[in-house]
Amino acid sequence: MSKLLKIALGIFTSIGGFLEIGAIATTAQAGAAFGLRLIWAVVLGTICVIFLVEMSGRLAAVSHHTIKDALRERFGPRVFALTLVSDVLINLLVLAAEIGGMSLALQLVTGISFRWWAIPVGFLTWLLLWKGTFGLIEKGVSLLGMVAVAFVIGAWKLHPPLDDLFAGVLPSMPSDRPALYWFTAVSILGAAISPYLFYFYSAGAIEDHWDEGDIGANRAVATVGMSFGGVLATAVLVVAAMVFYPVGIEAERGEQLALLLTSPLGRLGFYLFVATLFICCLGAALELALSTAYCFAQGLGWNWGENVRPRDAARFSLIYTVMIVAASLLMVSGIDPLQLTLFSMALTSLILPVVTIPFLILMNDADYVGEHGNGWISNIAVIVISLLASVVALVAIPLQLLAG
Amino acid sequence: MEIGREILDQQLVDRTGQDMGKVDGIVLELRDDAPPRIAALLTGGHLLARRVHPRLEAWARRLTARWGPENREPLRIPWPKVKKIGVDVKVDVAADEAMPWEHWVRDHIIGRIPGA
Repeated sequence: MSKLLKIALGIFTSIGGFLEIGAIATTAQAGAAFGLRLIWAVVLGTICVIFLVEMSGRLAAVSHHTIKDALRERFGPRVFALTLVSDVLINLLVLAAEIGGMSLALQLVTGISFRWWAIPVGFLTWLLLWKGTFGLIEKGVSLLGMVAVAFVIGAWKLHPPLDDLFAGVLPSMPSDRPALYWFTAVSILGAAISPYLFYFYSAGAIEDHWDEGDIGANRAVATVGMSFGGVLATAVLVVAAMVFYPVGIEAERGEQLALLLTSPLGRLGFYLFVATLFICCLGAALELALSTAYCFAQGLGWNWGENVRPRDAARFSLIYTVMIVAASLLMVSGIDPLQLTLFSMALTSLILPVVTIPFLILMNDADYVGEHGNGWISNIAVIVISLLASVVALVAIPLQLLAG
Repeated sequence: MEIGREILDQQLVDRTGQDMGKVDGIVLELRDDAPPRIAALLTGGHLLARRVHPRLEAWARRLTARWGPENREPLRIPWPKVKKIGVDVKVDVAADEAMPWEHWVRDHIIGRIPGA
């Protein structure tokens, strides 16, 4: 039974942290603009996030520290403050994008503009955190999130050319529009390697009382959970490549995204898409709000936990409340959710080394992980991928902004 | 023992097992005829802000001048009250004394929202 619980944490982390508005928007854009050529970015992002999630679970199991807690201890208040500021900024933008994603789903069904939905959707997210327990949220979202498998079925029914599919797994240079190509590639990486995802996972591991006996299960959960997210994201890319790319639709607007699954699955596909978008964005919004509250509480030593009553963790509850209110207001202002998503995903890539380098130092410090330190493969994979993502983002973001 | 590595910035846990902030500072007692020794541990937001940057502390003090709990100076935990140092630092005090801000937020904001 406890194994099942761990897998639920992995699937939930994956549904909420991996397949959300970020992954859906970036992979749909990639498929629409470049066919199957950007699959490699999804693969690279998935590999990196498997390593990072596994590390955060291992750190929690061996040292009984969450990442933030250990960061504060090991590097002191300045480094902690630096990471906290970047977390709050990015999480706020991404949370707004997720609230936008849910609102967009409701707009597609009702025809009422997403701006009107931002407040009710934000309230729903907050209410689930205020009243719900960690287990309820975790299992509910994992179960409902299975609807996302519709994308795999859709991709299967569209019969993508296998030669191109496998060719897309290997990185290639763009044949046209290089600025958009690299910008989309780093957006996909940013969507896959979201820091809030492994902060969340490490806090979940502490809330579930993992110890050294859980290292093996942790490795399996990280690999299976994140690969599941990677397969779903790839499926979105494939569907977009098959439906949009041949006819030259750019997938820049929400209404266009809704057509993704109608081509392979008809009217039912429309509802499956809307349900997937709503549930995955809800999962991500819950994770983002909680993750930000965890960052504060663990770094500053407050009471924290999703299972205690709000009044018994007042400052913790205050942080997620403020985050949700601020993000909802950002959406009410009418910023386009998809544009905000692509931009904040690229920004995530840009600051990735700020997150991964201190984390890697911790994972090689025997005071924390004892004999369970990182191997050279995970060290090199994470450092190369995150530096690469950051450097490419540094170049691609200004180019994309110039191109409008 | 390395004070900087094993005590500073560690989690403080009270006698009931409740989290009560981090070790934000350490008070050393200088003695003429012997090496310095730890007199007390300190915990408190302004002290932490000062360690990030003195200007942040000044800013935090201005921001909290009008509202917030009355007692906002760092809590001083005398060294004999420190019981155990391991994954965290266990001290023989009640967390209630140490968390004026937690209480302030509870009483003025969170506690007023229905269902808290």
